[in-house]
Amino acid sequence: MSGHRRIWAGWATLAGLVLFWFGLTTWTGIVSAGRFPSPAAFWLSLVQIMTRGYAGGQLVTHAWHSLELVAMGFLVAIATGVPLGLWIGWSRRAEAAINPVFLIIRPIPPLAWIPLAILWLGLGDAAKIMVIWFAAFVPSVINTFSGVRTIERPVIEAAQMLGTPLWRFVIEILSPAAAPMIFTGMRLSLQAAWTTLVAAELVGALVGVGVVLNVAQQDIYPGMILVGMLTVGVLGFATTWLLSRVEHRVLAWNVAAKD
Amino acid sequence: MGSIRFDSVNKVFGGVKALDDINLEIAEKEFVAIVGPSGCGKTTCLRIVAGFETPTSGIVSVNGKRVTAPGPDRAVVFQQFVLFPWKTVRQNIDLGLRNKNFAGDERERLIRSVLDLMNLESYADAFPHQLSGGMQQRVAIARAYVLDPEVLLMDEPFGALDAQTRVLMQEELVRLSRVNPRTVLFITHSVEEAVYLADRVAIMTRRPGRIKEVLDIKTVRNEERWNRFQRIEDVMDLDSFIHLRTHVWKSLREEKREDRQ
Repeated sequence: MSGHRRIWAGWATLAGLVLFWFGLTTWTGIVSAGRFPSPAAFWLSLVQIMTRGYAGGQLVTHAWHSLELVAMGFLVAIATGVPLGLWIGWSRRAEAAINPVFLIIRPIPPLAWIPLAILWLGLGDAAKIMVIWFAAFVPSVINTFSGVRTIERPVIEAAQMLGTPLWRFVIEILSPAAAPMIFTGMRLSLQAAWTTLVAAELVGALVGVGVVLNVAQQDIYPGMILVGMLTVGVLGFATTWLLSRVEHRVLAWNVAAKD
Repeated sequence: MGSIRFDSVNKVFGGVKALDDINLEIAEKEFVAIVGPSGCGKTTCLRIVAGFETPTSGIVSVNGKRVTAPGPDRAVVFQQFVLFPWKTVRQNIDLGLRNKNFAGDERERLIRSVLDLMNLESYADAFPHQLSGGMQQRVAIARAYVLDPEVLLMDEPFGALDAQTRVLMQEELVRLSRVNPRTVLFITHSVEEAVYLADRVAIMTRRPGRIKEVLDIKTVRNEERWNRFQRIEDVMDLDSFIHLRTHVWKSLREEKREDRQ
């Protein structure tokens, strides 16, 4: 399918869903307003939060705060996860030393860190960033690790025979050679960051999309719940798109080589 | 500068003997080709000189110094080129020079001259995937040559190229080694290639690889003045060439026959 047809098909599905939504709520009333908002109710909620605000702020304030938390957690996860992945990927000894610890920590759900994060860092943003960091950390480490392990040996040998010193080897050979997998890891990390955000914000937050969802649930306000959910969806989509643009630019050599 | 010496070198891979008592001396600026049946360990010989493998026993030395690790004094040209796909042609060639801490203008001068030597001037800013196989191998050779290595190790460098490109590259290598002679250890399974390029041809047995015979080509080449011809096919038509080629061929065929028994 060509690009245009794909985009058209995507919009068609979306339009169909909206019609279905109208059908179930406004037109037939099969789904009652108390369970799921009609498009009109959703629109009113959206207008309300964008103009007068809800749960302690306007939509922009909530969205921006959530975006900040995700960005911080994500960046800290990348900054720690990628180097660790490179290290244990390159050094068998480092892998042997770190892997057992990693295998035990890995199955702990990120949300299980929330109590500890609050004990350590209180109810502020730092605890939430820590939880997002832990969630986003694991995919970065694992994918960077396998990116390094799948580098073909001659590439490493070529760098060695050219007398490449270690730090230059890491930056100019190891990292770019593992870059396609590193970006895969970053995409998964970003998803994990958004997935964890709302749960992290449910505890003791003052603003954020998670707060909107929490308050809307207490208010039994389906329209606002939907606004909160779709806000996360749109923000997640936008940041993923941004990351894919960066990937496209950084990996231009790889994308072109594959064509 | 640039002599290579194999001293009773043995190599065992996981209980299987790959090399059996290899003894070989390659003089400075001498071009030696190793031919042998596939799996005989000829590439292992090169990888030991490169420092990628260590011998199980025996010593390989370059300039009388025992080889322990890879280094830019022994530049390698791989069969699959192995350029860094994220670096341009210029950056690929530059890496080794930067590692040797050459100044910027000196690097620029060396890169330009090696690009010129290999007819790559207009591809300096291209990425490897934009070049044909022959072009990529030219870049790999340029990357090795620019370091002015004492020893050039070539592991079936033209094996992945099509027949026509291969011939052009062989002629180019002959031209290059006249302009700028180097100690070369050249691995190939092509008898013609070995006899055409090398000063001496070492013939190996099937596994465990031993050196069966070392054949002098240079004396014949000089006596018969092969150098008066530019093209490989003219050299290959000479009786002296055919005679040497047939000799190597028969020697290898004996190995193949033993293989079948």
